[in-house]
Amino acid sequence: MTGFTSFAVFFQILINGVLLGCMYGVAAIGLSLIFGCMEIIFIAQGAVMILAAYSIYWMFTLTSIDPFFGFLVILPIFFGLGWLMYVGLFQRVQKAGKNSSLLLAFGLMILLEHLMALIWSPNTRSVTTSYSASAFNLGRINVSVTRFVVAIVALAATGFVFLFLKRTMLGKAVRGVSEDRLAASLLAINPVRVSATTFAIGIALAGVAGVATCIIYPFDPYFGFLFSLKALIAVAFGGLGSVGGALLGGVILGVLESLSSYTISAGWADAVTYAAFLLVLILRPEGLLGRRSVERP
Amino acid sequence: MANHLLEVRNVEIFYGDAQAVWGVSFHVDTGKIVALVGANGGGKSTLLNSISSVIRPSKGEIVFSGKSVVRLKPEEVAAMGISHVPEGRRLFSRLTVLENLELGAYPPNIRRYMKESLERAFDFFPLLRDRIHQAAGTLSGGEQQMLAIARALMARPILLMLDEPSLGLAPLFVERLFETIQTLNGSGITVLLVEQNVHQTLEIADYVYVLQTGTLKMEGRPEDLLGNPDFRQAFLGMVRADT
Repeated sequence: MTGFTSFAVFFQILINGVLLGCMYGVAAIGLSLIFGCMEIIFIAQGAVMILAAYSIYWMFTLTSIDPFFGFLVILPIFFGLGWLMYVGLFQRVQKAGKNSSLLLAFGLMILLEHLMALIWSPNTRSVTTSYSASAFNLGRINVSVTRFVVAIVALAATGFVFLFLKRTMLGKAVRGVSEDRLAASLLAINPVRVSATTFAIGIALAGVAGVATCIIYPFDPYFGFLFSLKALIAVAFGGLGSVGGALLGGVILGVLESLSSYTISAGWADAVTYAAFLLVLILRPEGLLGRRSVERP
Repeated sequence: MANHLLEVRNVEIFYGDAQAVWGVSFHVDTGKIVALVGANGGGKSTLLNSISSVIRPSKGEIVFSGKSVVRLKPEEVAAMGISHVPEGRRLFSRLTVLENLELGAYPPNIRRYMKESLERAFDFFPLLRDRIHQAAGTLSGGEQQMLAIARALMARPILLMLDEPSLGLAPLFVERLFETIQTLNGSGITVLLVEQNVHQTLEIADYVYVLQTGTLKMEGRPEDLLGNPDFRQAFLGMVRADT
């Protein structure tokens, strides 16, 4: 095990971790929204991310549209895709309970993975822009431009979702439906429409996270499952149903990973994060910012 | 056929294989307070749930303002002007008082009157005004009941259906609650009330239906029922004069 050679190095690792974690955070917010509103464990979140990554890759290699500009294209498309997924698939199994929707999400994940392998081949791809390798200095710390922009986008997405939930009527309806579908429907709120919107936002966020992924990492069709797991862990870290918590969970995860892969070895990064995850589950099962679940009287 | 605001005709309701309501008919006229009373398991809440389409009757017809509601979804029935305060109030406990009220006026055509509706709700329940930023789950039982009714009022309903509003409330509170129901009715809202508190209900209701194990046993104006020895014995705990 190696210690930190200097304080600057420690900060460097920390910043890298935070930037990486912001990306997990965005995917986690999507998962948290979907679970909070519909009790669907959307395990296909990672596959959807990779689908967005391939879309950007395609756009970039065919038309050299800038990946960051691709955000603007991906957002509405994935929003629509999410809407269709809910109305076409998940709404139909909602009554059958959590297990059916989990199975459906799992099936969707496998379908997406293999479709992507069919269309784009299972080879690893990457998006390399002219600025991929550029960085700027913050004192003695080196910050990658792409990671920095990704983190900004992540924070903006979190802020957007937070404001949406707190300030808009639709956002309040999302929270209402999350808590009590029946009560919402008695107030003339259409729970299917509200759920579809929530699902669509969740998928759009997966799209954003996917764009971020393809800018930072090389990827293949099966790369997404790892992200689904990490996003789930981030959600559990932060606490279900808390937007800030999901982002915080992602950041903690990112920091733990980069610190442990530097101090121990990259192979240990997952072991350390899973151990921390278990620890949180044992000591604070409701998550760091989560509320203890209250049984309805 | 007379034009009733709400008409329930020969409704039969099953929970799985168990029949809960056996061919019940009743109606509610505009501007009245109509009550369904009777012991637990009588099918009162089940009937309210079937009116707001939470459960679908297997037989019979439910007509509101001349339109059948049995094939509609709950949110569609609510949009027609029926506000249902269900059993257990079902507030959004994690949302604030204000957010609960706002969601009561969710449909766009009603949202336009948000400010007025909020003022009206606070006029009826002044206590809520001081609590607007408090989470609904932190209110006392009585305050929660107020909020539940206030939230239902936000939708500017034609018909307000209250399912056991007095349940779990302190006696003093119950009295105020019934006064409020009367005031609401005075402001033009038709009320369909389900209650086990027969004494208080008889004082404010215009017409009462008595349900027992899913069938309609008796009906009448409160003064008629009070004169009926069977009713007095069953619900007011009074011994027949002739025994």
